[in-house]
Order: sequence, then C-alpha cells, then structure tokens
Amino acid sequence: MTRSTGRIAGILLSLTLLLLCARPASAIPAFARKYGLPCSACHEAWPKLSNFGQVFRDNGYQLGNDRDSPIYQNPSYWPIMFRTSTQWHRETFDRFPLDSIPGNPNSPTVESNITTSGFDLTGIDMFAAGTLYKNISFGIQPFIDNTGRIHLETAFVRFDNLLGSPWINLKFGKFELDNLISERRILTLDNNGFYQLYHFKPAGDNNIFGGLGSNQLGVELLGHSRNSYTRYSVSLLSSTNGAVNLPTSHTYDVYADFTQGFEIPGLGLQRVGVYGYFGKSPTYFQTSGGNAIPGTGSGNRSYYRTGVYGLWYIGKFDFSTFYMHGQENVFLGNGVRADQPFNLPLGAAGPSWNGGFVEAHYTYNPRLILISKYELIRMSRQANPSRADNFGNLDTWTIGYRWYPFMSTRAGLAWLQEYSRTQTAGTAPLSGLSSTSSSYLMGFDFDF
Amino acid sequence: MSTMKPSLPFFISTVVLLSLATAGIAAGPGPDAGGGSLSGVVKFQGAAPMPMRIQMAADPACSKSHTTPAMSEEVVTDGSGGLANVVVYVSDGLGDKTFDAPTQPVVLEQKGCVYEPHVLAMRAGQTLKVVNDDSTTHNIHPTPANNREWNKSQPPGLTIEETFARQEVSVPVKCNVHPWMKSYVAVVKNPYFAVSAKNGSFEIKDLPAGTYTIQAWHEKLGTKSQQVTIGANESKKVEFDFR
Amino acid sequence: MRFRTLIPRVLGLLLLTCSVASAQESRIGDLTGHANRGKALYERYCIFCHGTHGDGRGESAAYLDPKPRDFTQATYKCRSTPTGTLPLDSDLYDTITRGVHASGMPSWNPLTRQQRADLVAYIKTFSSRFTEEKPGAPIPIPAEPPTTPESVQRGADLFQSMNCWQCHGKEGRGNGPSAVSLTDTKGYPITPFDFTSGPRFKCGNSDTELFRDLVTGLDGTPMPSFTDALKPDQIWDLVHFVKTLAKGNTVQAVQSTPKGNQ
Repeated sequence: MTRSTGRIAGILLSLTLLLLCARPASAIPAFARKYGLPCSACHEAWPKLSNFGQVFRDNGYQLGNDRDSPIYQNPSYWPIMFRTSTQWHRETFDRFPLDSIPGNPNSPTVESNITTSGFDLTGIDMFAAGTLYKNISFGIQPFIDNTGRIHLETAFVRFDNLLGSPWINLKFGKFELDNLISERRILTLDNNGFYQLYHFKPAGDNNIFGGLGSNQLGVELLGHSRNSYTRYSVSLLSSTNGAVNLPTSHTYDVYADFTQGFEIPGLGLQRVGVYGYFGKSPTYFQTSGGNAIPGTGSGNRSYYRTGVYGLWYIGKFDFSTFYMHGQENVFLGNGVRADQPFNLPLGAAGPSWNGGFVEAHYTYNPRLILISKYELIRMSRQANPSRADNFGNLDTWTIGYRWYPFMSTRAGLAWLQEYSRTQTAGTAPLSGLSSTSSSYLMGFDFDF
Repeated sequence: MSTMKPSLPFFISTVVLLSLATAGIAAGPGPDAGGGSLSGVVKFQGAAPMPMRIQMAADPACSKSHTTPAMSEEVVTDGSGGLANVVVYVSDGLGDKTFDAPTQPVVLEQKGCVYEPHVLAMRAGQTLKVVNDDSTTHNIHPTPANNREWNKSQPPGLTIEETFARQEVSVPVKCNVHPWMKSYVAVVKNPYFAVSAKNGSFEIKDLPAGTYTIQAWHEKLGTKSQQVTIGANESKKVEFDFR
Repeated sequence: MRFRTLIPRVLGLLLLTCSVASAQESRIGDLTGHANRGKALYERYCIFCHGTHGDGRGESAAYLDPKPRDFTQATYKCRSTPTGTLPLDSDLYDTITRGVHASGMPSWNPLTRQQRADLVAYIKTFSSRFTEEKPGAPIPIPAEPPTTPESVQRGADLFQSMNCWQCHGKEGRGNGPSAVSLTDTKGYPITPFDFTSGPRFKCGNSDTELFRDLVTGLDGTPMPSFTDALKPDQIWDLVHFVKTLAKGNTVQAVQSTPKGNQ
C-alpha cells in the first residue's frame, strides 16, 4: 500500500466510523412534559425545529409564561431526556483498498467492493436542559457512543434576556454553533445523516477544526427579535475544536451568524442568513521525547468557512439551502509545519472549495415527513497541484421518510427508512477513479 | 359612593309587588282562551334537611341587614311536606307553536345579600330586571349552558336589564363577590310554567286542550316528568314527589 | 400490541384530516384566515391542551391550572366587546399572539400572521354561535387622564366600594375573603389575579388594555364587567390604582382605606 492510498483508506474508514455513531441530537420530551406541549409545537417533525421551537430555544428554553422558572415545577420533575435509535442497515463501498491475501499487509492492494449489514444501535444521547432560575438556563449533554465511550457534547450556562432585552443573551461553556440548519436536529440518521460540508476538510489537511458541526468551547452573544425573525450571534471560541484541557494553543476563533426572516403571503415564513467561521490551527507543537506537549501549539495558520443559507417554505414543502466557501492556509492544507516551508510541495497553495446542499421536506402532517437531500462539494483549488482538479469532489444524496406513530407530550417515536449514496471523485486508491458508498437504513428513533 | 344607602321605599315596594306578581301569576293570560288549568302540589317525601345558616361576616354590609340569621334556600319545605322553589313547566306537547315574549320585565332583587326570589321563572326573550337594594356592590353572573354568559358589577342602586334568548331550566345565577348568593332563573319558551309556592302548590292556567309532558325541576333534587292530558276548560290536579 | 391499537387510531386521524373542514373565515385587518388551513395548525399546536373537539379536554388539560379554554362555549376572557357578546376576530388573534399571562397559554407570536389568522378561523368553528351571532360592538376607550395621586386615591376608594378586595384582597394579592370560593364557568377553581405579582396582566399590560378589561369583564370567570357600574373616569382611576399594586412600580402606592369591614 502506498502512503497516499493508506491515508485515503484511513480517511474513508474514519469517516465510516464517524458516521456509524449517529450525531447526538436534541428533541427534548423533558420540555414537552414541562409545558404540556406536544413535539409538534416546537418541531415541524422532530428533531427539526419550527419557528416556535426556535423562539423557545433562543429565549433560553423559556416560553415566557409562568412555567419557565423551576420554582413552578413539580419537585419530582427532572429535566432530562434520553434518545437512541435501533436499526438495521446495510453499507456498501466500492473500490475499497483491500489486501489481495486477507491478513497479509504485504500482499498487493486491490480495489474491491465491500458490503456489510446487520442490526445495530446508535449511541445513547442524554440531554438535560432547562432553567436554573428565571432567565438563567443551562444545557448538559453527555453522549454515550455505541462503543460505550462518553463524550461531553454540551455543557453551558446561559444568561437570558439581559437588561430585559431579547437582544442580549450570553452563553458560556461548550455548545453547538448557532446554525439554523442544525446538524444536531437533522432528520436523517444513516451514513450520510450529517452534512458533509459541516465536517469537510480536503484530503491531507491537518487542521484540528472539526467543522461547523462540531461543538465548541467559548462564549456566545446572541440576540433575537421577539419572534426570532431577526437573529444575530457572535461567538468567541477557544481554538481547540471543543476539546478540554486546552490541548492546542491559546488562540481564539470567531463565529458569527445573522439571519432575517420574512413572511410571504400565501407561502409562509422564509429565512435567509449569512455566517462565517474564522479560526486558527497550530501546525506544530513543542515536544518531549518526540511527543507533542498539549497547549504548546505554534505556527498557527488561519482558515475560514463562510457562506449563506436560506429556509424556504411553500405550503407543506420546505427547502433548506446552504452554501459554503471554505479555505485553508497552505501549511494546513498540506499538513506541513509552518516553520518548515521547504517541505511544501512545489506550487503548493491553500486549498479552497465551494459547496452547498438542498434539503427538501414534505411535511404531510406532524406525524409524517418525506425527506430528500442533495449535497455537493467542488474543490476550487488543490493544496498540492499534482492532484487532479476534481480530486475530493463529492456528491451525495439521500431520500427517506420518518413516520411518528403517535404524538405525545411525554415521548417521541419515529419509524424511519433512508437510502443514501455518496460519490467522491479521484479517491479510489489504485485507479484514481471515483469511489462510491451507499447506505440503506431502517429503524426506530425514540426519546423520552 | 362606597356606602351609599338608597332609601327608596316607593321603588322597593313596587319591586316587591312586581316580583310577587310574577312569582304568583307566573304565566299571565295565555293566548288560548277556554284552556284548562293544571294545578297541584310538589311534595318532598321524608325528613327535609335542616337549612344551613349562611355566613355573611365577610361583608358586614350584608350581615348587618339581617336581624335573624339568613338561611340557605336549597331545600325549602313547609310543615306538611310541600316543596317550594320547584319550576313546573310544559316541556313538550305544544308542537311548533311559538309565543311572543311579554313586554313587562321580571325582577330579580338582591336584598340583604340574598336573591329574591330564590328561583325565578321567565320567558325566553323577556327582560330580566336585576335590582340591587343593598348598600354593597354585587356582581350578577348567570352561568348558562345554552345562553349567553355575562357578568356585570352592580353597585348599590344600579339596575341591570338583560335577556335570555333560549329555553334553559335553569340558569344558575351567582354573585362571585358574595359566594353564598345563588339563585336560579328558569327560562321557558312558552307561557305555561309556574314556580311552586312555600306550601308546594302551583298552578298553570289557560293551558289549551292536549297531551303534555310536564316537568318539575328542583335545583338539588333533579327533574321529574309526567304525561298529562287536559281537556278544554278542564281543571286537572297533578302531584310531583321528590325525595 | 401498542401498534395494533395505534394503527386504526392513526388511520382515523388521517381520515379526519381528509374530511372537509368548515368554510369559516376570520378577518384581522388585511388578513383573511381560513378554517381548513387552521385545522392542520390546530392539530399541530393546540390540540394537546384544547382537545380534538375544542372542548378544552386535551391530553395535557389535567395538568394545567387554569384549564384550557373550552371553545365550544364561545366564552372568551380577553375581548374588546361587551360582556356576553362574541369577541372580534382580532381579539382572538391578539390573545393567540400575546398568550395569557399566569396560565399555560404561551405567546404564539412565532407563528406567521397568516397562521394565527387561520387558527382564529378554525377556533370559531367549534361554536355555532359564530355563525348565528355577530360579535359585539367594541367598547369605546376614551383618552386616558394623567395618573395623579388624586386619581390613584379615588381608584383605591373604588377598589373598596366596588368590592374588588372581596376577591383580590385588600393588598391586591388575590387573597380576599371570597377568593377560595371562586370557580370559572366550568366549575374549576380559579384564583383572583395577584396584582403584586408584577406588571403583567392576563389580557395585556397597557393601561388601555386594563381599562378595556374592566369595561368588558373577563367572561367565563368571576371577574365582572363594570360597564354600567362605573363611569370611564372612575375606571381610569381604578386602572391607575391597580398599577400601583405591582412590585417595583414607580407610582407610590396609596394606602387603601378599608371601609365597612372589620
């Protein structure tokens, strides 16, 4: 196996592993229990938020009535939610790098198809959230992945409606970036049940940033109009990709988002927004015995993700549209220390790409939603000019539906079926052709 | 105007007369001359519950107006078992006949923080005149099932006029300020009804010949029903027994 | 087991959804709401408290105090129309938009204007009164005189003489002698408003809205209309006084002078 095929196989495998643990997400029956409202009030189809749910969230998990404060709760009320998904799924990969003699890493590598299938389980998502006091809210979210490891996804305290104004809310801790098209509340669960663009990095890139889909540590200032038609948020984040113990350097990233909603008579609420993430990532560390010492990251180089999005409603149809332009510094893109520019390949450049997706939903009623999604990524500049222009270009689509057999103020259950297919250009290890993976999944997604 | 005491003896006596008249005559002359008369008595079988004393201390304006304690009027009987405050009315048998509402009002009086009469019968569409003879502010709040619900504050001396459009036996009327105050207004769409007197007697006059369902309604004891056939100029006696 | 009972229920609901909804409409300014569209919204947002039949007996009703409104009676607290009359479409729209303070009813302002208008149209289909009767004429609200100590004092006197304190209590805490006896029209216990709880009121917080509430009364509750009982200036006096009862209000509270009670 050559170094590059090994790396690509590693990327593919880690991608697969990443995907197999479904994203922890938020659809919170604890809130439904607290307020006596069904899932359908806050979710068009859970976990996707409606504007009512968005306002509730923006308001610090408060409805603005007298049930907000913990003092009004029954003492036995416990603001915690569990969610998991049991499923059967089938995964295929073509042009996967295989040892021609199984078990012998020195045997010639061949490209072959792989198919697996079986019953499976996602991790268990626990989410405790609510109010500590009127206008002081919190969220804590341990996520147990399906190998049993616990990830601290969320832990924050938020001071709501400071100075009595919805325009000033301060969140402190680890939290999801303020994305209105949230991956935490995505409707699809399968192998492509996340937004590629929220995690995309060109092959060979060693940026520590996990993408817009990764929760980050920092402080967020958010403001919104009473109906959240107008929203802004600005976050100052440690450049650690949400990792604790300050493992990288002491630089900071900035994320900002602004959206504006407007009503079109006869159609409903429409929304447009802009966002930008500007960050720095170290390219080398001080070492001890050859091992990097956490917190000593140096040679920080910059990167950014920026773009626009829109949420469009036409009766029972709605479309989430998203555009991103991403760019990385040349050292990050080539995985080279900033103090060793001589290691850059000839003609090296900071990689950049454009991407977007359209996700369409047909909400027949709160209990049935049809989903389709198409996402593409096009490299506009390769880090290493020896690569083909289309290397890493990606196309993926998904169709599926979720059916909720009942609506309740106590728990949620969805039956779902999904099929998706992803094609990546130029990444087949030997032939340099595109590689394709597909996934079929059916199962139950439930929380209580 | 907080403790205004209206001393309007003329007004009050008129009101008392009027209310007595409506309670006694109830129906007035019917449209069909030569009709029969249905009379009788409503009896309560067994030992009547002891009337409860009403606690009015929360509003001294109320308690001061009573020299002897006011008693609840839920079940009012005389010594011989006659049951008062029962609405007796023709509930069926008149076919599609409609009757114009009389123009004269019926009067419900608030006196000593008690409604007078305790049970009032009136015609659908007729004017209900509510009078406050007390020196305290009441609110008059009917809670109908089949009519408009309204609720008005009524300071001393103010008269309120309202109507009920649809038949309903009976509309509870209360004063929320003085929670012991309760009365019932029976709204009947025909002129053939009466409210039993203290001795349980009642009379429905000028009832055209025919077969009718007669209902007797009591606020606590429920509803009794009888079929009665009455001829022209016949005087018929019926008895209702509650227990 | 569970699904066997669920499937016919879901099918039944689907059929219900397909059945023809009433052609009831609502008009709020330039908006026209349609009941058939409101029905889907009602089933998404409202049904769990107000119930399938609009009778206030939804799944969550048992846990709510005060109880959800029973739309079949067409009796509404927050109106601009006289007691005993139907509310304007805009009154229902405003209540949906505002929510009802001190109850489980949140503000539905996050819904679009059209959605709220559609909901008003659908809510009206639960009572035939909306097809048989016209809403009352909105009560006139004259210009508000300035809040003076004299006006507040007159209001304090009225608070006594009009027996407001019998329910709302002498300090406006909702603990008057009659408070424990109160029920709404459906017979559920109801608590008189505690004016010290803050500057928010059930049907809106402005002086104009308080004036309106005193004139119209809150139908379905023990709170009467003062339309015949008081003159507009007196009602303004009461508004001015009641506002002084809220904690942290800048107007100096005037000592109310109990009369005729021990």
